[in-house]
Parts: sequence; structure tokens; C-alpha cells
Amino acid sequence: MEAFLCGTAIAGIIVISLFFYLLNTARKKVKTTNQFGKKEFAPVYVSIADKPDAIIRGMNKFVTETQKTETSGDKWRWIPLLIFFAGIGLMLVDVLLFLLGYTSFVFIIGGFVLWIAAIVMARSLRKSDILDFSPRYHGTKEILHTLRDDLKPGTTFLGHLDLTGSMLQNKVARETKDTQQRTTQHFSDPWLSLKAKLYDGNVLRLTAMQKTKKRKSYWKRSRISGKSKLKPEKFKGSQQELKVRIVVNPEAYAIRPNHTFSTGKDVGKYRVEQLNTDGGIINILAVSPFEEVAQTDILAFLKSAYSLLERKAA
Amino acid sequence: MSRKIIPFIVAFVLICLVMVVAGVFAFSGAVTAEKFGSTVAWSQPFAAAESMKVIDVTGDGQDDLFIQNSSGLNVYDGSGTSILGLDYASPKTTLGDVNGDGSEDIIVYYMGVGAAVDVISKSSVSNLAQALSIGFPSRVAVLRFASGSQIVLGDNGGGVLALSADGASLWSGNVGSAEIRGMDDALIGGAVNVAIASNDGTITVFNSSGETVWAGSQEQLRRMRAFDLNADGNSEIITGGEYGLFRIYSAVDGSILFEKSLGQAVSEVREVELNGDPSSREIVVGGKDGGVWAFSFNGSTASQMWTGSLSDKVTEIAGLDINEDGKQEAVIGDDAGNVAIFTDNGTRNNLPDHSSGITRIDIGKLGGERYVVVADGSEVQTNKVNFSSIPGFQFTPLVVGLIVSAVILVIAAILASIPARPEMKLSLQDKSRESLEAERRMLKESIADVERLRKAGEVSGDAYLSRLKRLRGDLAENEAAFKSAGHQVKAETFACPHCGGTLELGMDKCEYCGQVILA
Repeated sequence: MEAFLCGTAIAGIIVISLFFYLLNTARKKVKTTNQFGKKEFAPVYVSIADKPDAIIRGMNKFVTETQKTETSGDKWRWIPLLIFFAGIGLMLVDVLLFLLGYTSFVFIIGGFVLWIAAIVMARSLRKSDILDFSPRYHGTKEILHTLRDDLKPGTTFLGHLDLTGSMLQNKVARETKDTQQRTTQHFSDPWLSLKAKLYDGNVLRLTAMQKTKKRKSYWKRSRISGKSKLKPEKFKGSQQELKVRIVVNPEAYAIRPNHTFSTGKDVGKYRVEQLNTDGGIINILAVSPFEEVAQTDILAFLKSAYSLLERKAA
Repeated sequence: MSRKIIPFIVAFVLICLVMVVAGVFAFSGAVTAEKFGSTVAWSQPFAAAESMKVIDVTGDGQDDLFIQNSSGLNVYDGSGTSILGLDYASPKTTLGDVNGDGSEDIIVYYMGVGAAVDVISKSSVSNLAQALSIGFPSRVAVLRFASGSQIVLGDNGGGVLALSADGASLWSGNVGSAEIRGMDDALIGGAVNVAIASNDGTITVFNSSGETVWAGSQEQLRRMRAFDLNADGNSEIITGGEYGLFRIYSAVDGSILFEKSLGQAVSEVREVELNGDPSSREIVVGGKDGGVWAFSFNGSTASQMWTGSLSDKVTEIAGLDINEDGKQEAVIGDDAGNVAIFTDNGTRNNLPDHSSGITRIDIGKLGGERYVVVADGSEVQTNKVNFSSIPGFQFTPLVVGLIVSAVILVIAAILASIPARPEMKLSLQDKSRESLEAERRMLKESIADVERLRKAGEVSGDAYLSRLKRLRGDLAENEAAFKSAGHQVKAETFACPHCGGTLELGMDKCEYCGQVILA
């Protein structure tokens, strides 16, 4: 009797779990945050080597295509749940037979096979789910749109937009260990890199980078009980960096340092950490303590950087 | 292969698999919807029957129900009316034609004036013998030896006494020193002998003169029965031990034909024609913990057919062909009051429970109807057992298979209609020579950047290789774009023949896989 109750309880838990899995598939309720509670976005990598309008068109088309894939799966999302109920209906035939005094498992087996089919279909539908596009994706389009008229005619923007994730193994800059031998990983994610030859003859290089720290999981032994316990990974913070390099056209501009844009000054969300104007090239490193910066902050910073240039008389 | 075709191919394979399995189940006859039921014809109060038999004891040609317990015996006619009721002290009974009048007599071995024997013939009671030199009644049997019928008595101390049909003592002996637990006629070369077993494990076969044919012993014994399982004129003696030993002896010489340890005390052994094949006989064994085993004896040895179980000690086993398929079903009762029917393949079907433990089950015709008679702790009940099945049910696996196949096909069609998820890598490239050259310069600058970061220790070894691999891959794509646009370009990259990673020309060792590159 105990074995029967135990088996019934386990079967009940499995059936309820399956029901909610299929219900969440139908309602398109999927987990979109990582282990640190940060929202996850579509892992897109865009290689940029085209004119601004073509880039924006290409990026818009890509969004439309992914949404089309997603919406084509959406209309079938309730089907796995319906198959689940069909399986229950089939199983009830055996229950009815049992109530009539007959013993049969044929319909129960059939219902079980239908449940497996429902799981397979739900998994396939979930695979067609695409996470939301990062605000950086749309922000980059805004930057390209704003700078499109400043680009030298016939030239292209060059670079990449890497939204595959800021804490990937291929973005580990270095690892450090503290006194307790706990490892902290330092990630460096140059998520936006742009190079453009501008209308005024300057060459602009822009790199937006996210620097993140994460402590790796480790085993900790309790001093009292002696038991070991696995401590999970811990997010230790993140900041944004912006590197701007302007090769100045000496025929058009002279570099004039000023007090409003100098080392240590705050410009929007950024603070200028390094500023070098030697050799007719402006090198700026700005840091923002914020985890996210908007395209308006980057554009505002570029505009401020141009305050270092004074146009020569024609 | 087209992405739209693959789901249908997978679906086709799965459908074939499902239908093959469904076909196997449908045409093997493994799937049936059958049930056994019973309705009570009549019942009479009768406590804890020790012996029960449907047999004609009145000589009217109609079977009656004879039943006996520790305080007396009763005979009921086909409608359940009591036609005889007698009180006895600790009686043991058997049935047989002692006086040669052609009808079965009831022989009662009881404690009266000492140990005594009565014969009840056609409801008329006569004392055959009394003050016999034998102990407390344990077993009694009527043996039809060639020299004439004998009544063999067994007591609770292993004593055995044979009486003639007129009550004269013929021979006596001892089988061990414990209670006699089995007494049955055993054929040897067609001649009747008597096999007797006592609780201490002693088994002895006597001939009609009381001479020992052979004797043996085994573990403590609970049951002994003798059957001529293969009708060769030599019986087989079947025993069930206190510690689970199940044995089949040859009645000729006591040699062991088959033995198996069943893991629990054997509480009952009966012959049931389970498979309907008269060339072999089947034995159903019940255990003290509810175990049920079926064995088939082929003339020389036995093999196990199936096992099953009830919830308590098996107290009685009887065979009856309920569904009239030529095979008997085993009707088995247990000490918890459960009665179940086991079919030839061991499938269990329950009949209504009784409020007290089952003591005896017998099958026979009463009043022209075939009944299963069940005696429990408080009453005796005649049941009309019926069988019903759903016609064509064996084909339901095909129906279920078709439903499942239809669902699989629908799923395949839906999955085929969903377009492929786009690759999450987007390359927006202007094909003009100037643009491609600018991109090439930018990629080389980026490669130089990554190498500078590595030298400065600002990037880990794995991350460096990973970034370098991606940038070199982009460089190779740029070269390919040059070529496809019809522009001349000096190739600066090549693919590693081992891992496929893009390398710069002139490298002799792959940085990604570590293999040496010879060509």
C-alpha cells in the first residue's frame, strides 16, 4: 500500500510538472534572466562593413525575420497542451474499463506516448523562441543614424556589434585570487567597435566596452561541522568604458584643450579618465560606473569630444 | 536535405515503429478485456469447514454438498436445504464406497468410545469400529486395493491403522512421530498403494498388506498429495515443506523428479488442467505468505509456468473451466477472505471478498447448475461464476496506434511549417573594393589590438585565441568577398587542415588545435 501511495505521489508530481511545462509553453512564459537575475537578450553578433542606411536596413530586416520565425511558432503553442489532454482522455478509457471490471493498459500506454509527443513538440516550439533584442541593438542603430550625415561620401562604417554576452569564457581578461584562494574573473567585452572616415577628414574610432567581475563558485568547509558546501558564483559588479580616438585632419582643425572637457571631468554618465592630444590625435578613455549606458550618452560624449577641435579659417 | 522533409521522415519512422508494436500486441492475443464475476445462489451458516465436497451421498443421482468441521458434518441438497446434520467430536472424514452399494459413503473417524469409525450410507449412520488402538484423528482415506477396500486412519502421533470394510483391523504402522499431514492413494505399476506423510517430514508408501514399499524423509512437511500426472500407471507424490521446499517424488521408488525452493511455507498443492493439453498436467502451489506458482509436469520433470500472489496465506485451490475454452482456471482463496481466479497465463481476476478467511473451495453441479462452492470462517456459499469479454478488444492497440500516428503526423506537419531559426550572426558588408579594403584594414588593426592586449597581459590565453580565431575568420570571409566580387587580393589566411580554424599564411603550427602543419 505504501509503495502504491509513493508511486502515485511520484506519478502525480511528474504529471503536474508536465502540465505546467506545457502550460508555460502555451503562455510563452519562459525564463529570461541569468543566474544573477540579469535579463538575457538575443545573442546577436553583427559584423559592420557597409553604408549606414544599408546597415540599418539590414538590422531591421534581421529583426523582422526573427520575429517572423517566432510568430510562426506562436499559433501552435497550445497544441502540446491539447495533446496532453488528449492523452488524459485516452487514459480515461482504461479507467472506465477498470470501473466496468476489465483490466486494460492499452489506452494508458497510448496516452503516455501522446504525452511524450507533446513534450517533443513543446521543446521544438520553445527552441523557436527568441529572446528580446538588447537595447544596445536599437541604440547602435540610433548612433549610426545620427552619424550617417557625418560619414565621408562613398565610405562605410566598419566594426562590429557583439551582443553575445559580457561574461563568456572568451572574454576573460584575467583571473585573480584572494587570500582565501577564491578566484575572481575579470571580463572585458568590447561590445561595440566602430571606425569611420568622417566628412571633415577626421577618422573616428569608437569602442564601447563593458568590464565585469564575477567570483567563481567554490567549496567552503564549515569550521564547526566540517561539512563542505558549494558556494555559488557571485556577480561582483560591472562598469562601462568608452574609448574614443580621433585622428584630426590638420587642414580643417586645430586641437584646443579646454576646461569643460578635461581629465577628471564628468560628461553625462561618463567621467574622462585619460585624455591625450599628442601628435594631432585625440585619445580619450572614459569610464562610467553605470552598468548600462544609452546611445544618447555615447553621442553626447562624442559631441563633447569635438569641443576640443577648433575649425581653422578657410 | 530540406528542413521541411526531415520532420516527415522522422514521423514516418516513428509511425512505423508505433504500428509494428501495435500490430504485435493486436495479433499476439496479449491484449484482452475479460472479467470474471459471480452471483450467490444460496448460502448457509457453517463455521470453519475442514472438508467439503460436491458429491452424491444420498444415492438419488443428484450431487449434494457434503461439509464437515471440527464439531460435526452436514449434507445440503442442491437448493441449500440441510438433509443431514450430525455432531461428532474432532471428526476427520473421507468419502468412498465402503459397502459396495454403488453410492459414496461418508467415513467418519472421530473420538467416541476411544477412537471410532462411523460409516454414513444414504443418510443412515452405522458404527464400524470403536476403541481402536490409534490416537487422535488426523487423516482418513478409503483405498480401493485389488484385495478389497480398506479404510486407512492416521493419528496426530504418526500412527497408522488399516481397517477392512467391515471394521476389522488389518495392519498398522508408523510414519514418523508427528501428525499425519497427507494420505493419498499412489499407483505403482497400476496397483493401488497408500502414500502417507507426517509433519516431521517422513514419507512412507505402504502396499495393501501394510508392507513398506519405500520410505523417505525431507524437511518438515505441510502438504502431501499424490497424482498420476502423466497417466503412466505410476503416481507422482508432491510435497510442500514448512520452509518452502516443493518436491515431486516418483511413487515407484521415492526418487526426486523435481524440486524447487519457493521461499515460503507451502500451504496448499492442487492439480489444475491450466493449459488444456492432456499430455501434461499442471500443479498449482499456494504459499503461506500468499505466493502462487504454477508448474507443468511433462512426464519426467516440471517447469514453472508463472507466479502470482494473494494478500494472505493461500488456503485452498480448485480448478474450473469457467470461460469454456478447454483450459481450467485456478480458483484460489486466502486467509484474508479473498477469492481470485488465475487464468492459464497467470492473469489474476478477483471475485467478491468474504468477511472471513476462506477454508475450502469445491466445484460441482448442484441442482443441475455448475457452482463454485466457497466455505469461509462462518458460512458456506454457492456461487455462479460467469465470464465476459469485450469482443474485438484485441484490435484496440491498432486503434490507439492510429491515433498516436495521426498526432505524430500533425506534429511533423506543424514543425515543418515553422521556418528555421535565423543564425544569430549578421554580416552587413558592402561589396565595393574600397569598402572591402577598409574592412580588411580594420580587421588587421583589430588583430594587432588583440595581440597588443595579450602582450600587455590584459587578456587571458583562451580569450586571446578565441578572439583571434574570430577575427581571422572574418579576415578569411573578407578574402572570399574579394574573390566573389572579382577583385584581386593577396591571400593572407588559410584553414587548418585539422581543426578548420583560420590561420595566417606561413604558420607551421595551429594555435587552436596544436597540430603541426606540414603543407
